[in-house]
Amino acid sequence: MITAEVNLKEMGKIIEDIKQKVQRLMEISGGMQCVDRNCDRILASIKMLELNISDVLEFLE
Amino acid sequence: MLVRGVDAYWNPVLETLSRDKLRALQFKKFKRIVKWGYENSRLYRRLYDEAGFKPEDLKSWEDISRVPTLQKEDYRTAQAKDPWPYGDSLCVPLEKVTEYHQTSGTTGQPVYQPDTWQDWEWWSESWSYILWSQGFRNTDRVFIPFGYNVFVAYWAGHYACEKLGCEVVPGGILNTEERLLKINELKATALMATPTYVLSMAEACRNKLHMEPADLGIRRILCAGEPGASVPATKKRMEEAWGAKVHDHVGATEIGGWAYECTSQPGGIHANEAFFLVELVDIESGEPIEEPNRPGKIVITALDREAQPCIRFDSKDVSMWGERCECGRTFRVLKGGIHGRVDHITKVKGVLFSPVSVEEVVRAIPELGDEYELIVGKKGDTDVITLKIEMMPGTGASQEAVQQELVRQLRLKTNLAYNIEFHEFGTLPRYEIKAKRFKDLRK
Repeated sequence: MITAEVNLKEMGKIIEDIKQKVQRLMEISGGMQCVDRNCDRILASIKMLELNISDVLEFLE
Repeated sequence: MLVRGVDAYWNPVLETLSRDKLRALQFKKFKRIVKWGYENSRLYRRLYDEAGFKPEDLKSWEDISRVPTLQKEDYRTAQAKDPWPYGDSLCVPLEKVTEYHQTSGTTGQPVYQPDTWQDWEWWSESWSYILWSQGFRNTDRVFIPFGYNVFVAYWAGHYACEKLGCEVVPGGILNTEERLLKINELKATALMATPTYVLSMAEACRNKLHMEPADLGIRRILCAGEPGASVPATKKRMEEAWGAKVHDHVGATEIGGWAYECTSQPGGIHANEAFFLVELVDIESGEPIEEPNRPGKIVITALDREAQPCIRFDSKDVSMWGERCECGRTFRVLKGGIHGRVDHITKVKGVLFSPVSVEEVVRAIPELGDEYELIVGKKGDTDVITLKIEMMPGTGASQEAVQQELVRQLRLKTNLAYNIEFHEFGTLPRYEIKAKRFKDLRK
């Protein structure tokens, strides 16, 4: 079994940063479908990162 | 933070989280989904208002049992109206729905299941936990012999395989023989199917292709849809036939893929407690069961599903808690997987009877074929159970001796007598998805 040093807090911050950037991208897309629909998919993937990492952070301190 | 098992678990943080932290995470997510359901679905608002319950009432873990349970019938009543066809059960604008599936309708009107793209990602995420725990890796070529259609079945398995980096071969509309030939041609390493179909494919491989299924090179098989992979005799038959490891998985359209057997094969399935709240309750009283080895009914919540949440859903599945698994996961094990459904566990001649116990007996007798049918009826005022079976061809065993052994084992395991009917090999129905082997004609 491999053990690794992982900075979960830093991961949580990056996940939040990416989310905000994608949301910003949608705000400035002017309704371009090629941007909005792809952002929508990225946000769904970011949600999976939140479920896997961000949601649990408060219980790890 | 040092994280142990980055190679062994899909999510080494959640899958090995201490029980108290896991419970805290579950409670946080439970409160979130209850609020979501109440605020966005007329179904949940009505259900909770009628019970005098408000999401703010959830103050401690013990309050969870105050949340009304949801029955399949509640979905049916809420649906088949606008926004069509999901009606009052829908929690998002219709234009956010990207996937449609439905239940098989074996117990009545099918339940319509909407999913958003986020839900669909969630489906493949929860399936990724399952596949990783069973040893699926990006070196696998996975053959999926499933007629891709309105039933959710292996759709999410397909996408989770892609997420893991596996190469997926969609078996789609090919017939059984064509599927076997394709597995052989492509040297597929893994497949996923119901136990019934895994055995049926093995039989077809021998009888039609004159090949041993074990020679096809399949190394791992994921089973779903029926309890077979957690029934030791059925698992043994599948593993011996295919020369592969067979692992169980449990899921449902309304719930998601919520439990899996890991490679340690602990004689049960892990509930994915990071994504689902799995409660075991007494079948009669509804009282929570925490101790091992006491059978109960599963009430389940999908903690993160948005389009049509599944909150304290009465699954009617029966199981029991087992011991902790040696794999290191803290997710609890449901011993023996799913033992059956509350509506299948019935009294026959005053004795509590579970059809799964008959499967264990039939599949443990090597002279008997894989197929059987079980019919409970009445002769006058007396319950009669008829068991239809097939003798495996070419074993040289006498039917009389097999019958004697079968009757003895059935009496031992179920405490009941049976009317045994032998049928010619190959004449009982064969199934591609879920088998319908049990009929209670008294109802």
